[in-house]
Parts: sequence; structure tokens; C-alpha cells
Amino acid sequence: MSFLIMVLEQGLIYGIMALGVYITYKILDFPDLTVDGCFPLGAAVTAALITKGMNPYLTLPISFLVGMIAGTLTGLIHVKAKVRDLLSGIIMMTALWSINLFIAGTSNVPLFSKDSIFKNSVMDQVFAGGLKRYRTLIIVAIIAIIAKVLLDLYLKTKSGFLLRAVGDNDTLVKSLAKDDGNVKILGLAIANGLVALSGCLFAQEERVFEISSGTGAIVIGIASVIIGTSLMKKFHFLGTTLAVLIGSIFYKACVAVATNWAPPWAVKGTTAVIFLIILIVAESGKAKVKKHAGA
Amino acid sequence: MLELRNIEKYYNPGTINEMCLFDKFNLSVKEGEFLTVVGSNGSGKTSMLNIICGTIPFEGGQIIINGKDISKSPEYKRNKIIGRVFQNPAMGTSPGMTILENMSLADNKGKFFGLSKGVNKERISYYKEELSTLGLGLEDKLETKVEHLSGGQRQAMALLMATMTPIDFLILDEHTAALDPKTADIIMHLTDKIVKEKNLTTIMVTHNLRYATDYGSRIIMMHEGKIVLDKAEDDKINQNIEDLLVKFNEISIECGN
Amino acid sequence: MKKKTVATFLVVAALVGSMVGCAKTEGKDANKESYTIGIAQFAEHASLDNCREGFIEGLKSEGIEEGKNLKIEYKNAAADAATNAQISDSLASGKNDLICAIATPTAQSTFNAAIDSDTPVIYTAVTDPIAAELADKEGNPVGEVTGTSDKLPIEAQLKMIREIMPEAKKIGIMYTTSEANSVSAIKEYKKLAPKYDFEIKEAGITNTSEIPMALQTLLESSDCLTNLTDNTVVSSLPTILDKANEKKIPVFGSEVEQIKMGCLAAEGIDYIALGKQTGQMAAKVLKGETKASEMPYETITEPGFYVNLKVAEDFGITISDELKNTAVESFTEVTAN
Repeated sequence: MSFLIMVLEQGLIYGIMALGVYITYKILDFPDLTVDGCFPLGAAVTAALITKGMNPYLTLPISFLVGMIAGTLTGLIHVKAKVRDLLSGIIMMTALWSINLFIAGTSNVPLFSKDSIFKNSVMDQVFAGGLKRYRTLIIVAIIAIIAKVLLDLYLKTKSGFLLRAVGDNDTLVKSLAKDDGNVKILGLAIANGLVALSGCLFAQEERVFEISSGTGAIVIGIASVIIGTSLMKKFHFLGTTLAVLIGSIFYKACVAVATNWAPPWAVKGTTAVIFLIILIVAESGKAKVKKHAGA
Repeated sequence: MLELRNIEKYYNPGTINEMCLFDKFNLSVKEGEFLTVVGSNGSGKTSMLNIICGTIPFEGGQIIINGKDISKSPEYKRNKIIGRVFQNPAMGTSPGMTILENMSLADNKGKFFGLSKGVNKERISYYKEELSTLGLGLEDKLETKVEHLSGGQRQAMALLMATMTPIDFLILDEHTAALDPKTADIIMHLTDKIVKEKNLTTIMVTHNLRYATDYGSRIIMMHEGKIVLDKAEDDKINQNIEDLLVKFNEISIECGN
Repeated sequence: MKKKTVATFLVVAALVGSMVGCAKTEGKDANKESYTIGIAQFAEHASLDNCREGFIEGLKSEGIEEGKNLKIEYKNAAADAATNAQISDSLASGKNDLICAIATPTAQSTFNAAIDSDTPVIYTAVTDPIAAELADKEGNPVGEVTGTSDKLPIEAQLKMIREIMPEAKKIGIMYTTSEANSVSAIKEYKKLAPKYDFEIKEAGITNTSEIPMALQTLLESSDCLTNLTDNTVVSSLPTILDKANEKKIPVFGSEVEQIKMGCLAAEGIDYIALGKQTGQMAAKVLKGETKASEMPYETITEPGFYVNLKVAEDFGITISDELKNTAVESFTEVTAN
């Protein structure tokens, strides 16, 4: 049971980041490496504010906004300075390392003695007794679901339509008399807002800011998106954003199963194999459908 | 009224491969005119459209629309009054979105794309009506993603979307070239119908000489960045394909083709 | 069909796995003859591996031996923050009597994960437990968490370098900006250096790929290099030694392994000894003699002087007999890692 709770907690926290990666990687078709710097950016902002005594709940929207600024900068570098997409993300990710160190003051900021959105006097009362072990999971799930629903709603607005169109076909956006560059910047901003929000939750759940916590985040994000969208091909009733969240939980489950069973040297290899099997199983479902359709 | 004045266009300017395409190129298109443009490959037809739309930069001259110089304004701003259909059917629609969503996008052209609902339910019946004029049955597939449509169906949608909101100019860039002959005929027929219904000023580039003579009110032939033939309404009626081919062969021989 | 079977197998396997985890929880008992502990290590590298070995030895010296009355579940995060968090959660889920956490990030995440389950956490290789908020300002535990610090004896090191290299002016230090331990060590080096008439040349890196350039700069501007216990830098030590030897710049170490590998000398830590000390603390907690929350964290009592005479000879440096005699251990050969 605790294994499951842990996988769900971690999966949902990283799932919010995966929603951001879904916007850049799937919708905008933009391999955005800003994520590796933006995830700890959210954590750094959170650590700095909580250390200064700010209400931990306020760090959620503030992290989101700061992440949006980072995404906007990546967008400006790409659109206005005409730097290639991959390179724009690398530039921003590199710069964010120093920015994060500056914001947090040091590479490791513990928050053990501070209130967090999970642990404070109100939450201690709400989640007393048997509910206590589900506290983090419930709060994370609520935030993840709110993020998912808001993103779903946004993607159905006119602005959201434009965002979906720009990754599909930026010529069409220009044809609609809209600056496709601005739409891309907006997309990157929202995506990185979600990534920073995820970093904010991670810092509060782990109760520490670590500068290197974002290293490899983009890999987790892309893997989650790919697992999620592959699963969706098999289970059509899943919406894409829900599939991405589930993909992230699956990814974390792969890692957890591997770390639990494989000897330490074999953990990464085992994770890779499980990951591959999931993808093959998901893709095989698709092939079957095609065969039936052909016959 | 569209006017190209003394347009100069160089490819690879400042390099050893510099090539002059347009040297003081002039063209004016009157309101309500349906101009068809023919010419060999590399004659500058598509470059001319790209210059009008702002897709590519040019070195000198002016583009004047209704008395206003738009040479400096970016592509997307010019598109407020221009609708364009491309050779590649994928360029005019968003393949990952449904037919309904694509129609809604086109319907909102020139307006603000804010946080209101992407699909206006009250407009659905209008979209269905518009789609049914295509005669392709698309009005019953509103929830189908455009990527699942055939090239012809997509191009028909692209045409509809490009002309849905009021525009001053319709630019057709070999928009039937990627389609099979039968589908191309259907699209060309549709184009003519829409242009006539909405009384659109149209510039159509085509390789199909039959379309060039059958449709439109004025025809020009381009060669190496120059207009080598320009027949307006009255002459055009007497201009048949054979005459055009003769002229076409002349310029092709010059090129050594 | 076959693939479906594979998928079903996976799902079932995952479920069984989680149930096995639960089953263990139920078998927990305070007064028992045998113990289950979890060891969480941040990364795979020699010093941390030594800590782990020493820890197990320390337990053994107190009569708690693996295979007899001790079951160990060992996990390594491969320096990955996300995996680190998952490992801590999984070890702290109640099945273990105690968790040993090796290195600062792991200690913090394990402590955080174990708060609710009251599983005691014994850490080692944490340079500054107070800055990491694992101990309060007086050095007392902030919960069921205590252990040992591998704080470098920086003053002793500076004094030793001065003795071996009386002419040296500039000491080059390379460190990773993301490692809190290194950042605080650099601060202390800078503070103490003037006292011994040294100037510190620092080069901050973020990952292994930046080492060659940073090293080049340091070697141009320094008379000797000295190492911290920086994980990234230490794992690239063979390369650093190779380049430094070429330029005839001696490299001082921070612990015994580095001396074996070819560093000149160190007033440093023996991580095996540190691990042992930690293991003995853990044994007390396991046996119920005391609680982790009642034991302040410990540092290694005396820094040991280690010297590699072969390296000294290569550099033409004579180590005075007086100094030689204080060495805890001296080496006469360079062993490749």
C-alpha cells in the first residue's frame, strides 16, 4: 500500500511537469530543455519564499508565474532572436542554473522546520488519524487535477485553439492574421509555469531545495508523455491530459519497481526494459486494430 | 486594388550565387479581377505571391493595397485582408484538430483569440451549411480530425476556411497541383463558385493551362521575372490553349528545356 | 495474445511487489533478535562506498551481522534527485527498523520520508548537519535522526600543505556549485587561507564535462591543488591527477582513498572509520540502548595524516621524518582505481 501511495504521490507531482512537457513537446512540437532549469526554479522560488516566512500556499501561484517568465524568455530567444528551438532551451536552462543559485542563495536549502502546503497547523487538523498517510497524496492529487482541468478548459478556448494550431501548422496561424511567434511564446510560458509549479510541489513534499533536482527532468517528462499517449491509443476513453498524468504515474512505477527489485547497478537497465515493454505492449494494441480494419 | 511597384528581388544577395529574379517588376490588379498566372518553373510566379503575402523579403520597391503601402508590415498582419490557399493541402488546415475546430478557427480570423469558448455552438449550423456546399459530406463529420481526410477534402476545407471571413484578396498558389485530375476539377469548380459568389479579387498561379484560360478574367504569363504576355478580359476570350502553348514553348526553348 | 500475457504478468508482478512490501510491515517487532535495515546511498563512488562498508563493519563489531541477525536492503540513487526521493519513501514505509542514509541529499530526503513512520535515520557523510537542518543550532537532533559528519579538517590541511610546500602561494580548488558541502568548505578555506599565507584559486563547475577547462585554468594559476570531498570532482580524480602530474603541480587529497590513487598527502578523513563510527551509533539505536533523538551527531575525532611517498619522490619533495612519523598510513605505490 505504501508502495502505491509513494508511486502515486511522485507520479502526480511529476505529472504536472509532464503536462507542461505535453504542451511543448506534443502540442508545440518544441523540444524544450528549459524544463531542466525551470523545475528547480519553482523549487528555488518556493524555498526562498518559505524561508522568508511567506504562506506556503502563495508559493503555488508565484512559482507558476515565475515559471511563465522563464518560458517567455525561452520563447523570446527563439522567436525574436531566431535561435533554434533546442538551443534556446539549452541557453535558458544554463542561465537558470545561476539564477536558481542566486534565488535560493545556496545549492541546498532545507525546509524541515518550516510549514508547507502539506504540513501546517490547519492540515494537521484536517488530516488527523487514519487519513494522515494519505495527506500528501490527497493534496497533490487535488492540485494535479485542478491543473489538468484548467489546462483542458484552456485548450478549448479560442486562445487554446490557436496554441494547438501553431504546433500543427504555423502557416495556418499566420493565415488567421495572428503572429505565430507570440502564440509559441504563450505556449512556452504556460508549459514552464506548470513545470515550475511541479518543482514547487516537489520542494515542499521533499522539504528541501536541491539545485540539481531538475537534472534529467525533461527526460522524465518526455517519457511520461510518450507512455501516456501510447496508452491512450489503447484506451480511447482517456483524455490526453489524463493520459499524460497516468503516463507519469506509470513512469514512476517503472522506476519504483526497478529500484525495489533490481540490484543497485541494474536499476537503470531494468527501468529501461520495463519502459520498453510498456511501449511495445501499447503499440501492439494499435497494430491489431489496424489489421482488423484491413480485414 | 493591388499594385506592385518596381519590385526588386535577389536571391542570395551579396554572395557569389547572387541571382536577380525581379528587376523593377510592376503589376497591378484591379478590384474584382480574377487574375491567372502561368509560367515555367523558376519564372517567379510563386516568389511574386510570397512577396505580396510577406512570406519572403524583397530588396526594393513597394506593395500598395488600396492606396496603402504595406511593404513593411509583417506577413500575419497582411493576412487580415488576404486569404491564401497553398499547393500542399496540409498548409491550410490544422491536421490534429477536428473539422469543427478548424471551422471555428477560420470563423474567428481577424478577431481576438481570448479565453471565450473555442467553438461557438450557435455557429455550428452555419458551418454545416457552408460545408454542405462542398458536396463532400464533410458536414456529417464535424468531430473527425482533419488529418483523416483526403487531400482533396482538405484542400476544399482550406478553400472554405480561407474565404470564410471577408477578405480583399484571395491568393491561390497552384492549389490544385497536388490533387488527382478529377479532384482538381472539383476544387477548381468550387473555387470559381466561391470567387463569383463573394466577388473576390483573386490571383491564381497554375500550371494547368486549361484552368488558366477557362477561369479568370485576365491571364499573364511570366518568364525569368518578367511578364511576357498579359491578356485582359476581351482578348482572353479568344485566347485558346493552343496559342498559349505556342508562347509557352517559345520561352521553354529559350531556356533550353 | 502473448504480449497481453506479458502485460498481465507485469501488472500482477507490480501488485505482488507492493503486497510483499506491506507484508514486511506487519512483521515489525520491537524486541527481536534480528533486524532489518535500509541503506540509501546518493551515488556510486569510492568514499561513499567506504562509508557503507564501514557502517556494516561497525554494526558487526557490535554483534549485528549481515546474514546472521541482520537483513540489509541497499539502494543507490545514482545521483538522481527523483530516484532519491522514491528510494527514501520506499525505505521509510515502515518495513525497516532503521535507515542509514549516505550523503546530504539522501539524509535530507530520508529524514523527510521517515518523519511519519518514526523510523530512526542514521546518516553519514553529511558535512554540515546544522546547515542541512538535520540538527538544531546546538547540534542536537531535530527528530529521530543523527549520524556522523565528514566535515573536513581544513585548518590542519592548510597547515600540512604549508609544511610540505613552504614556497607555495596559491592553492587551486575545484568544486561543484551544486554541492552544498563543497560550497561551505570553500568558504572556510577562503577564511582560513590568509592565516597560512595562502591565496585560494577556486573554479566552480556544474558537471563532469566542465572539468577539463576548469582544470586547465587552475593548473595555470596555482602552485598546488587540493581536493574537497566533492562527489563530481572526486569521481574524475584520475584525469585530474594525470593532467596535474604533467604540469608538475602536486594535488593534495581529502581522504585516504585519494592518497592511494596518487594524491600527495591529506589531513583527512578515513571514510571506513567514519562508517564504523556510524555503524556503532546505529547498533546502539537498534539494541534500544538509546534513541537517535538523544544522540548528538558526531564528527571524526582526530584527522589522520596520510601521505604517498612514491608521489612525493616523483615530485622531488622531501617529507620530513617528523611529519612522516605522524602519518596514520603512508603508501609507497600508486594504485589505479
